Amino acid sequence: MIHLSEEDLILLYYGETGAPDFAQAHLAECPTCRDAAESLARALGVCNEITAPERPPDFGRDVWMQLAPQLGSQYRPKHLFPLRIWLSAAALAILLVAVFVAGRLSRPSPAPVMAGLSDRARERILDIAVADHLDRVQMLLTEIADGNGGGTGSFDADRERAEDLVQEDRLLRQSLASRGETATTNFLDDVETVLTEAAHTSDSAAAPYVGSAQALGELRNRIESGSLLFKVRIVESNLRNEDQKL
Amino acid sequence: MKDGDDTSLQQARCGDRDAFRVLVERHATAVFRLAYRMTGNETDAEDMVQETFLRAWREIRRFDGRASFGTWLHRICANRTVDFLRSRNRWQPAIPPSGPIATEQEHDPFRNLPSQLPSPERAARSAEARAMLEPALAALSEVERAAFVLRHYEGLAIEEVAGALGVQPGAARHSIFRAVRKLRRALEPVGSTSL
Repeated sequence: MIHLSEEDLILLYYGETGAPDFAQAHLAECPTCRDAAESLARALGVCNEITAPERPPDFGRDVWMQLAPQLGSQYRPKHLFPLRIWLSAAALAILLVAVFVAGRLSRPSPAPVMAGLSDRARERILDIAVADHLDRVQMLLTEIADGNGGGTGSFDADRERAEDLVQEDRLLRQSLASRGETATTNFLDDVETVLTEAAHTSDSAAAPYVGSAQALGELRNRIESGSLLFKVRIVESNLRNEDQKL
Repeated sequence: MKDGDDTSLQQARCGDRDAFRVLVERHATAVFRLAYRMTGNETDAEDMVQETFLRAWREIRRFDGRASFGTWLHRICANRTVDFLRSRNRWQPAIPPSGPIATEQEHDPFRNLPSQLPSPERAARSAEARAMLEPALAALSEVERAAFVLRHYEGLAIEEVAGALGVQPGAARHSIFRAVRKLRRALEPVGSTSL
C-alpha cells in the first residue's frame, strides 16, 4: 500500500490543493496515515495556541501619533518629481541643441540668437546645468543611502527618478566630452553607473523581495564606500564656485 | 476589506491624512500581530507596524484594490519584516527560552489556552512547549518563518503566500513544508502529551 507523504498530510491539514486525489479516501482507511495525520495536527495544534500580546484599545491611536509627524515631510505625490524632471530635461535638451547649433553655425554664419554667446558663456551654461544635475543626484543618493526611499519608503519612485537622471547624465556627459572636460566627464560616467544600478534595483512594497534587500544594500554600500556623495558635493560646489568667479 | 475601508481608502489616496488615520487605527492591531509572530519581539513588531504604515502611505496610490487593503498591508509588513530579520540575521524572542516560569507569566503565549488541566500542570506544559517552540522558530529561515506565519496564522492560501513574498508557489510550498517539519520535530513531544 502506498502511504501519504508528510507533504500530502500538510496540504490536507491546511486544505490546500495538490495532495493526491485518493488522499482523503486513503486517510479514512489507513490507520498508519491517520496516525501520522493526527500526530501532525497535534504538533501544529500547539502552534495554534500561540497568541500575540494584547494591545491596548488605543493602540491604533498611539501608532498614528508616532506616524503622523513622519508623513508630512516624507510623502511625495508621485507625479510632481517626474514633471519637474521632465521640464528640466526638456529645458536642458533645448539649451544643448541651441548651444550645439550655435557652435556649428557661429563661424560661417553666426546665428542671431546665439551670436552674443561667447564660448565661455556656453561653458558657464553647461556648468550650471551640470551643477543642477548633481544637486538632483545628491538628493536621490542621500535618500537611498539613508534608506528613506529604499528602506522604509517607496524605492519604486526613486527608481523612476534614477531612470530620468540617467538620461540627463548621459546628455551632459556627452556635452562635456565634446568640450574636452575629461575629469568631469569621467566623474559623470561614475555617477551614471550608480544611477543605472539604482534604476534597475527593485524593491516594490508588495512585489518580489527576494534579492531586493541585498541589491539595495549593495547599492547603499557602493554609495557610501566610494564616498560618492562627498564627491558629488565637491564637484557641484566647484562648478558653482567657477560660475560665481566669472 | 473591512467596512468603511473603501471610503477612507479613496480619500487617503488623494492625500487625506485623516482618512489614512482611520485606516491606521483600524488595522494597526492586526498588523502588529503578524509582525509579532514573525519577529517574536514586541519592540521590533511595533517598529515594523510603523514601517508598514509609513510605506503604505507612500505607496497608497499604487494600491489597485485587487486584494483587500488589509491583505495589502500584510504583504508590506511581511516583506518589511523579512528584510528586517535578514538585516539582523536573527529572530529574537521576547523572553529567553531558559528564563524562569514565574517571570514569564505575563508573556506566556499559552496563558489563554483553554485547558482542563490543573493550573500548575498546564503552566509546566506551557513552559515546556515554549522552551521547544522558540528555538524551533529561531532555527527557521526568514522565508520559512514568513511563509509559515502567513499560512498558519494568517490563513493565506499557498498561492497567496507566494504572492505576498514574491516567490513561486512551489518555493512557498516547500518553505512551508520545511517549516512544519522543523516545528513538528520540536513540538511533537508536547503535542503528544497534550492529548
